[in-house]
Amino acid sequence: MSKLVIEGVGRTFPGVHGGAPTVALQPVSLSVADNDFITILGPSGCGKSTLLRIVAGLDTPTTGRVLLDGATVTGPGVDRGMVFQSYTLFPWLTVRENICFGLREKGMPAAQQDEIAAHYLDRTGLAAFEHHYPKMLSGGMQQRTAIARALANDPKILLLDEPFGALDNQTRALMQELLLGIWEAERKTVLFVTHDIEEAIFVAGRVVVMSARPGRIKAEVAVDLPHPRHYTVKTTPEFSALKARLTEEIRVEALAAAAV
Amino acid sequence: MTPLKPIPARHRVALGIGFFALFVLAWAAVSFGGLVPKTFLADPLTMLREGGNLFARYGFAWDVGITIWRVLGGFVLAAIFAVPLGVAMGAYKPIEAFFEPFVSFARYLPASAFIPLLILWAGIGEMQKLLVIFIGSFFQIVLMVAMTVGSTRRDLVEAAYTLGAGARGIVRRVLLPSSAPAIAETLRLVLGWAWTYVIVAELIGASSGIGHMITDSQALLNTGQIIFGIIVIGVIGLISDFAFKWANQRLFPWSLA
Repeated sequence: MSKLVIEGVGRTFPGVHGGAPTVALQPVSLSVADNDFITILGPSGCGKSTLLRIVAGLDTPTTGRVLLDGATVTGPGVDRGMVFQSYTLFPWLTVRENICFGLREKGMPAAQQDEIAAHYLDRTGLAAFEHHYPKMLSGGMQQRTAIARALANDPKILLLDEPFGALDNQTRALMQELLLGIWEAERKTVLFVTHDIEEAIFVAGRVVVMSARPGRIKAEVAVDLPHPRHYTVKTTPEFSALKARLTEEIRVEALAAAAV
Repeated sequence: MTPLKPIPARHRVALGIGFFALFVLAWAAVSFGGLVPKTFLADPLTMLREGGNLFARYGFAWDVGITIWRVLGGFVLAAIFAVPLGVAMGAYKPIEAFFEPFVSFARYLPASAFIPLLILWAGIGEMQKLLVIFIGSFFQIVLMVAMTVGSTRRDLVEAAYTLGAGARGIVRRVLLPSSAPAIAETLRLVLGWAWTYVIVAELIGASSGIGHMITDSQALLNTGQIIFGIIVIGVIGLISDFAFKWANQRLFPWSLA
């Protein structure tokens, strides 16, 4: 059975000052099975982030609906963890307190919170920084904390909106490996939005390609690279073939987006 | 000099003290040099001597104490009511829509113009002084706090929602802590204004306090005492400002770079 079902979800933003309304997302349908790692790949402004925000419940679709385990999504909730592109750690809380934010909101006993925090601090390699404030951390560390914070809540699905978009290439590559390692160990269902082709292939079980604005699903490409995946997989012929194919798909869309 | 280039801490202190010294020197030059009649401007030494007199013979310490008490009383009273209202307005748009137009209007009503009315209503006792400061501070705090809370980073609020926070959680665990340093800064600013209001209230109708001493000295043409009173107000303001800054740094270490 599908874990997450996106049924004809579209989003139109009303026109500003009497202008014509903007269609950000054409009706999109997508099914995500339990333990899937899906990346949504598309050029800037194709509505991929809008789609993810609708799944998170932070935005409402103009048409269609989102079902998680058969229940319609009506607003944000603990069953969908989200990591944003911008740094959204609470600056007044330490790394550990950030990770425990959702747990405290649930009213979980402190001892249990500590246990979960310790697990994810360890998983994300942040144990030495647990008492640091976000301002004292690098961008990569902040996003690691954000991932730990979302996972600590034990969501049914993890939503990532270009989480490594603001990081430099080296850090970005390490973060992809870290995320993949966590997924291989815990098999969470993941929906990951990115505009980076290599990133989309490396972490995913399936890549969903979106067209230029107004966005719609253009192609779905299965990634059959074996797990556990090592970073050296990026230099294999299979990887290159996938990359070549997706590059073509995306290039057409990028050209279309640039022409608008 | 290069634009925006920082300077060493000791240079900054030396320059800051330098201007104070220059100011006093200029004052000494015009007063001792006889450029200005003594009746209008006492020289620095006379001012200090008169200040000593005030404390030793006229019980000025009590006046200073009563003025501080009035400022703090009126200010704390205003803050107790204004901060929660400001937070509620910043967090909930219907509450803001209800109060904001009136508060914005009331903010422009000059507190000092209320003094004659307040003397009619409350006499020249303590209640009248507290009310002047309350009126002068309350609306300002409400508006600034509401603006601070209302401009909380939306992505932090969204992150909190995805972590399971409800309306209460958003207000208590996101809006309040994220606004706290700016609210403290607002209070520091308004406390400075409260000092102006208390002196005006004391100049117009009072039997004690620094402002009352200043009007008495004016009647006696004692400019030394007047200047000393003004300087005392400045020094107390400076001390309270430092105290606030120090407390803010202690309370909100995360907001420092």
